[in-house]
Amino acid sequence: MLSLALRRLWYARKVAGSALQQAWESGISPAGTDWREVSFLVCDAEMSALDTSEGELLSLGWVVVERGAIALASARHYLLKARHSVGQSATIHQLRDCELREGISEDELLELFLAAATGKILVFHNASLDTAFLNQLTYRAFAAPLLMPTVDTLLLEEKVLRRSDTVIKPGDLRLQACRDRYNLPIYRAHNALLDALATAELLLAQAGHRSAKERFPLRNFF
Amino acid sequence: MESSDLDYASPELATIAEFLQQSLPFNELSDPLLRRAVGKTVIHYHCRGDRFSKDSAEMGLRIVRSGAVEIRDDKNKLLDRLGEGESFHIGGLNAENGNVQAIVIEDALLYLLPDQHYYKLREENRQFDRYFSGQRSRRLRRAARYEPIPNSMMREVSSLMSTDLLTVAPALDVRAVAAAMTKRRVSSAFVVEGEELVGIVTDRDLRVRFVAQGLPPDTAVQDIMSRNPEHIEGSHTLFATTLLMTQRGYHHFPVMCDGKLSGVVTTSDLILAKQDDPVYLVQHISRQGDVQGLVEVVSGMPMLLVQWVKSGIRAQQVSQILTAISDAITVRLIQLAEQKLGPAPVPYCWTGFGSQARGEQLLGADQDNGLIISDEMRSEHRPWFSAMASFVCDGLNACGYVYCPGDIMATTEQWCQSLGEWQDTVRRWTVSPTPDAVMRVSIFFDLRAIHGDASLCKRLQEVMLEQASANTIFLAALAANALDTKPPLGIFRRFVVDRNGEHRDSLDLKKRGVLPVTEIVRLHALAHKITAVNTDERLQALAKTGHMSITDSRNLADALHFIQRQRIEYQTEQISRGEAVSNFLNPRSLSKMAKEQLRDAFTIIDESQSAVKQAFRQGMG
Repeated sequence: MLSLALRRLWYARKVAGSALQQAWESGISPAGTDWREVSFLVCDAEMSALDTSEGELLSLGWVVVERGAIALASARHYLLKARHSVGQSATIHQLRDCELREGISEDELLELFLAAATGKILVFHNASLDTAFLNQLTYRAFAAPLLMPTVDTLLLEEKVLRRSDTVIKPGDLRLQACRDRYNLPIYRAHNALLDALATAELLLAQAGHRSAKERFPLRNFF
Repeated sequence: MESSDLDYASPELATIAEFLQQSLPFNELSDPLLRRAVGKTVIHYHCRGDRFSKDSAEMGLRIVRSGAVEIRDDKNKLLDRLGEGESFHIGGLNAENGNVQAIVIEDALLYLLPDQHYYKLREENRQFDRYFSGQRSRRLRRAARYEPIPNSMMREVSSLMSTDLLTVAPALDVRAVAAAMTKRRVSSAFVVEGEELVGIVTDRDLRVRFVAQGLPPDTAVQDIMSRNPEHIEGSHTLFATTLLMTQRGYHHFPVMCDGKLSGVVTTSDLILAKQDDPVYLVQHISRQGDVQGLVEVVSGMPMLLVQWVKSGIRAQQVSQILTAISDAITVRLIQLAEQKLGPAPVPYCWTGFGSQARGEQLLGADQDNGLIISDEMRSEHRPWFSAMASFVCDGLNACGYVYCPGDIMATTEQWCQSLGEWQDTVRRWTVSPTPDAVMRVSIFFDLRAIHGDASLCKRLQEVMLEQASANTIFLAALAANALDTKPPLGIFRRFVVDRNGEHRDSLDLKKRGVLPVTEIVRLHALAHKITAVNTDERLQALAKTGHMSITDSRNLADALHFIQRQRIEYQTEQISRGEAVSNFLNPRSLSKMAKEQLRDAFTIIDESQSAVKQAFRQGMG
């Protein structure tokens, strides 16, 4: 948390007056706050390749977790206007070129995303991948990384498993594998929004199991 | 800036809309309404053990997405148990059941439709509203699943007492009393003056107060009896009775119901009460050395049924137990036949058909069985099999499983064949299905190996499913058969009863309720090559493979369970009154609640029949 504040300071002059600065100004909740008193923006992104140098962001979906519950009214799904043809990767994420031509621009997306993220903690399953692409966006717009407090449900799950001395096999930390452990349903369809929802439900389950008897302060998420 | 909430869920959430559409009564909503409902939904996760009531939780309709929830009233009595796709409203339940609590019994993901949106939907869609005001399916479900905690020691003593009482006049001499007691094989006699109980005399009294005292044989029984014996009320629990008998040191207790002497309970009855466990009974059957022994064991079965039902065993369990017992009897009879006739010359499989195969027998079932014999059979082997079949079928008849009126028995040529012959027969039936043939053979498609080489039965079933599932003409004929009996509901949902004859003013629960359900479910199972035979298992398999919606599958199961429970309860009453069991019920004898539930069950059957017509009889009139 401290390092996040320091790093923001480093970029403060560059982002002055931008939407990113506004997002930063909403402050960071103290580490002792119970998770039910904090708002989370749970996101998932689809991209055309796993590496920022080869791929680009295609779509972004999110839902808000507030007071320990997910309000589907907050669910959003945006397609980006693709710079390049999606080509073969369409078979993976099921977004076709024709759909992507109808998407919004990077700037529009960034504006909507930062407005939604303000005052919230970001949540991803396997955050490093998604944040790499989001950072690329903010670098292009503001010459600074996103620098928002971020929770990774994958790392959280890894911590739980390690603590219970479970041997972690390949695939054990995949989103559905994690959900299975909490008796969460299987979603047959996949898109950025549904995966964000799936991640949000996992977050609820992870926090729910550990806060059944006591408070579950924010610091435990990192 | 935060954009305002969308009024409709985005299309990426179609998965959620599809799930809701599978749950009653969301299937009634139009697409826009459904999408709006999704957009207003709030999702909560609850760990096992979480509880909430109307004071501790946000109000609204909750739909179980995964996991399971129990609903209990303020006395902790179980009202309902809900699984995936079922919904409840903590506030709505309160009106009928006092302060209700929901307890999560399996980690659960719940969709909450907050009150303001829930009531708006009810205003906007009549069917949706009717579901909650009528509560049809839910009410039925609750009735079918209601499950009091079985505890045999909390049963009323009147369910166990012996009603075979020996009453004598006070002036009768002791010798005559002893002779009567010996003849009736009882260990106590009641001394009555008119209607009034004045004393009791037991084996022990005869020994201690008569023989040991050297009294003359013409002594009047009133001189040795225990005067004004203590009695207990029929409503006492077995627990209280046992306690009282131990405290007083009595071995016999007169039981009074409504101020009248109506039975006696003895210490050995109480010991036996622990042995009415079905497992004990099945074991007991397997130890009998002859048919007579089996007959004696099963003669107590009606009374046992009464006890099981009173101690709260559920309808499906009762029929499972009764089927397990008839299986055990069949197996024992076959073993006895083999002892008598020597080992079988070639492998065979004794196969049960109909309700025995489905594990759905009740009291009064007739026998439906057959023999599938290995293709190695030669003509000289046949006599062994007919002798064995006769022995077993005669034995079953003696035990109360009467000969099948339709001749579906291993003793007939048609139902005792080699596997190859059986397979040919099946092909013949399915190729040219006449309505009459279909009616006769439909029972044959419910089959289960009871004893011997089960692979024979399995191979026959494989051919059967292969033939049936591919043959639309045959399926249409089966469908016609399934549609033949309409549920007994007239316009305005009035019960249609027999107008005259022996069963005037009553309706046949088996023919009008149970058979249509089994036939509909069998038809779907055959059409989709489902190997399960038990109706519940078939329904589960149909829902799992997507050939039937979860809602339809559950509704049919609930309808069946409810009707079966009515049948069982009614049979229990008949047994208690000493009448023969039958399936004819006068709907007027039902409580208002049960009447409504029975109507619901019949409505569900009626709806499923319409679905059958759509699926299998299109263009066939």
